[in-house]
Amino acid sequence: MTIRLGRRQFLMGSSALLAAGAAGFGPAFAQAAGLRQFFWGGQARADRTYAVNDLFAAAKGTSVDSSFLGWGDYWPKLATETAGGNAPDIVQMDYRYIVEYAKRNAIAPLDDYVGGALKLDGFDQDQLEGGKVDGALYGISLGANSVAQLVNLAAFEEAGIEPPNRDTTYDDIRAMGEAFNAANVRGGIKVIADGSGSEPMLDNWLRQKGLALYTADGKLGFGADEAIEWFALWKGFRDDGICVDAETQALDTNGPLETTMVVLGKSAMMPSNSNQLVAFQTLMTDPLTITNYPRIAPGVGGGHYRKPSMFFSVGGSSGNKELAAEYLSFFVNDLEAAKVLGVERGIPCVSSVREAIAPDLNDQDQIALNFVANLGDLLGPLPPPPPAAAGEIDASLLRVLSQEVAFGARSPEDAGQYFVTEAAAILERAA
Amino acid sequence: MTTDAERLTVVTATSPGRRRLFSVIAHVLLIGVSIIMLYPLLWLLAASFRPENEIFTSGVSIMPSVNWSFDSYFRGWNGLRIGFGQLFINSFVISALSVIGNLIACSLAAYAFARLEFAGRRFWFAMMLMTLMLPYQVTLIPQYVLFLNLGWVNTILPLVVPKFLAADAFFIFLMVQFFRGIPRELDEAARMDGAGPWRIYWKIMLPLSTPVLATAAIFTFIWTWDDFFGPLIYLSDLRQYTVMLGLRTFTDNTGMSDYGGMFAMSVLSLVPIFVFFLLFQRLLIEGIATTGMKR
Amino acid sequence: MATQVDISSNGTGRVASPGFWSGVWQNHAPGYLFLLPWLVGFLGLTIGPILTSLYLSFTDFDLLTAPDWVGTDNYVRMFTNDPKFAASMRVTFVFVIFSVPLKLAFALGVALLLNRGMKGLPLYRALFYLPSLLGASVAIAILWRQIFAGNGLVNQFLANFGIEGPSWISNPNYSLWTLIILAIWQFGSPMIIFLAGLRQIPQDMYEAASLDGAGKWRQFWKITLPMLTPVVFFNAIIQTIEAFKSFTPSFIISAGTGGPINSTLFYTLNLYNEAFGFFRMGYASALAWVLLAIVALFTAFSFLTSKYWVHYDD
Repeated sequence: MTIRLGRRQFLMGSSALLAAGAAGFGPAFAQAAGLRQFFWGGQARADRTYAVNDLFAAAKGTSVDSSFLGWGDYWPKLATETAGGNAPDIVQMDYRYIVEYAKRNAIAPLDDYVGGALKLDGFDQDQLEGGKVDGALYGISLGANSVAQLVNLAAFEEAGIEPPNRDTTYDDIRAMGEAFNAANVRGGIKVIADGSGSEPMLDNWLRQKGLALYTADGKLGFGADEAIEWFALWKGFRDDGICVDAETQALDTNGPLETTMVVLGKSAMMPSNSNQLVAFQTLMTDPLTITNYPRIAPGVGGGHYRKPSMFFSVGGSSGNKELAAEYLSFFVNDLEAAKVLGVERGIPCVSSVREAIAPDLNDQDQIALNFVANLGDLLGPLPPPPPAAAGEIDASLLRVLSQEVAFGARSPEDAGQYFVTEAAAILERAA
Repeated sequence: MTTDAERLTVVTATSPGRRRLFSVIAHVLLIGVSIIMLYPLLWLLAASFRPENEIFTSGVSIMPSVNWSFDSYFRGWNGLRIGFGQLFINSFVISALSVIGNLIACSLAAYAFARLEFAGRRFWFAMMLMTLMLPYQVTLIPQYVLFLNLGWVNTILPLVVPKFLAADAFFIFLMVQFFRGIPRELDEAARMDGAGPWRIYWKIMLPLSTPVLATAAIFTFIWTWDDFFGPLIYLSDLRQYTVMLGLRTFTDNTGMSDYGGMFAMSVLSLVPIFVFFLLFQRLLIEGIATTGMKR
Repeated sequence: MATQVDISSNGTGRVASPGFWSGVWQNHAPGYLFLLPWLVGFLGLTIGPILTSLYLSFTDFDLLTAPDWVGTDNYVRMFTNDPKFAASMRVTFVFVIFSVPLKLAFALGVALLLNRGMKGLPLYRALFYLPSLLGASVAIAILWRQIFAGNGLVNQFLANFGIEGPSWISNPNYSLWTLIILAIWQFGSPMIIFLAGLRQIPQDMYEAASLDGAGKWRQFWKITLPMLTPVVFFNAIIQTIEAFKSFTPSFIISAGTGGPINSTLFYTLNLYNEAFGFFRMGYASALAWVLLAIVALFTAFSFLTSKYWVHYDD
């Protein structure tokens, strides 16, 4: 007996039984008239989202039944619900997964609704492009952010060193690092965290060289030489005490904010994102700010790009696609809603909305807004969405190799070579 | 024999002084180990009273901060739209039902395995053990689909009904081992008096098994209380969330987290399970005295 | 096994011998009736997903579309082309070999200590069980890092003796040990079970032995330990199975990375990442069945050899 988990069987069976079961054991509220929404975030984001849902309900008369989880729990649950044919109407999507979900029709294309239920006038073009897979629109960007270095101003001040600015290069970092070591403050704080395992930092570095992490057709966008150069650069930093050492960097488990180098007080700056400034500031008493990633040489730009921080997509099996599209439209266009949302999810993508909320932002939000708006020559073109296996390459390959080099288990040459061959194999397998 | 007895009497008759010394050493050891056991809780307690921006800059200190406040508790309690009280009730309902289900169903099954003869007993026992060995991550999706088809998703049924169907093989196995430790002579004596399997189970096995039943009750309550994965998958409505699930929403790696609130609610969430433990551990103290037993 | 029709064994006191089928009923019905809840659960809720996962192990299933039959590809890849599989096996075996005996030793030792009926027994018992209440929560992860990191409590303590310790929790050579210690620290559960087992040993056995002149040691060796063997057996098997399946500590402390350098990549963590991180549920199912095979072999071996040292009263 082969048990084929055909999707249609699930959908039919489950909807029939759900309807039948809803009377007896189902939840107490009416499901039919509303939308189901699922997103990741914390309490702060939830409060804002619920407030917007209330506004939507008041304006359009449709209730939105919403739930949320932390990032780590969100994806297994969404995958489980999708596998069971029970995905919500509105899902929050990430740049990393949107290709995966779009290609498998787990989220629905929205092109049919543009101009009708979904109004996108004045929407930033690059943010719109970011939500497209194979030319079709699958996600509406909820905000733009950019990679940024998180800087602990107090540490720099204590060491008597000028904090980095727009023109800081990797060589400048080296000089700063030496100055930090000479100053020897705060128990030997280093200037920068070990970025060799940071995929955004590698990406930024490659883009400045005119290369990219991945090409549009899903292949690796660079070769062994660059990989070796990257690992060797950081080995140099590590050996000379410019960046934190292996054991210290390994405390960062690539997730919880409290394990990061700046929060732990081990380094004065580290790779991060522009929209996380507020989150980090609540954890620390020292004043923090953000600046750009270092340039590879004076005057070289193009490393940064304005990334959609997250999308809202419509579930592929949703029975309320048009209504969901209306919700999306409301979410990104309505000025009242925008005031509630602020820049918590990123910088709004519609210019009129940005202007409306700008006066009400607090200091840190202003810093983030100005940073993303004024990237200038640092800004490069939006890269294509990463291939499906990018997550695996980041977690299993880049991070592990960077740790192996750091702990001396591999040489940079070896690591660079291995990275390229393994990455190609992983991409091959996933294709 | 006399030499042995002499030697033994020498060994067993320790002077009051030596006994006290031994007792003091034992207590010192126990207190030392207790501090190690308690330390994390004290740290948690201290952290729950710290302002958010001092939590991670205070290291391992268990000294309260000068800026200590109940803020985290207020924030945490009211953090989720519905107030943590509802979550406590939800967790309690699920855990209490699970205890009842497990005690009834697992003891029935254990009795069958331990005391009754029937065709296929060994086979079913092996099947029961097998259910313990498969990691839940891979049965998660098929089980979700199953419950979805039953219409039970988004209710507490997937979390509670399996307990009434003895899905926790751990407790079946545990009780089997304990039941097998109860002398068969008691069963036979009862049978002589004309008791059937049900009466033996009800009048002899269960009363003599209070330690293991208490153990099962404690463990079931605590483990269902601490479980977040089941509720994560099967509960979507915030109003049905359990305490552990609610705690997980306090930390989000991509944005703002409320560590203080999480610590505060973690401390509070320990209270019910600790109380449950204290209540039921008395049953662990009482052993059984089988009178009139001649070996 | 009862193959003859034994009227007295079901205690109804019936005298006349019924027909063959009702004999069968009388012999086997009680067992099955008691087993009914479990059987319903097993056949209704459990066996379906288990068999489905077996089926999935022969497919390529990315969670979002229907599974694709690939035969034994997953198993072949596991054993020939997956460095993480080998790493996770190694990590898990080391974890099991060290954490289980140590945990059981602590549990038994403390249980015996507490069984003496000393003053403050309930308090100590509660204190020792407390770590198990805390479970593997985010709070514990944060604290564990504080204790075992470079300038954490342990190293501060060692510094008093002039020893400069590494950052235990973030050094690939030692990180697994912090998890082993975490497992041992939570010895409360097997301890409670040992206590329950100790309490179930009839007091009058000790009294009779004392009257016969046996001292404390003899009583321990001849009464306590043998009577405790079923419980020791239980704890050994269960703790080993749980250790093989251990997931949450590593998941929480390494934030799912199994790092540094896969040094804390437990088998089920690798499995979880494959299933939900890389959308390879088929491969993850294959991993699960391999684990089940290993654990089943171990359990079967334990049961077969248990007759040599486990003493049941029946």
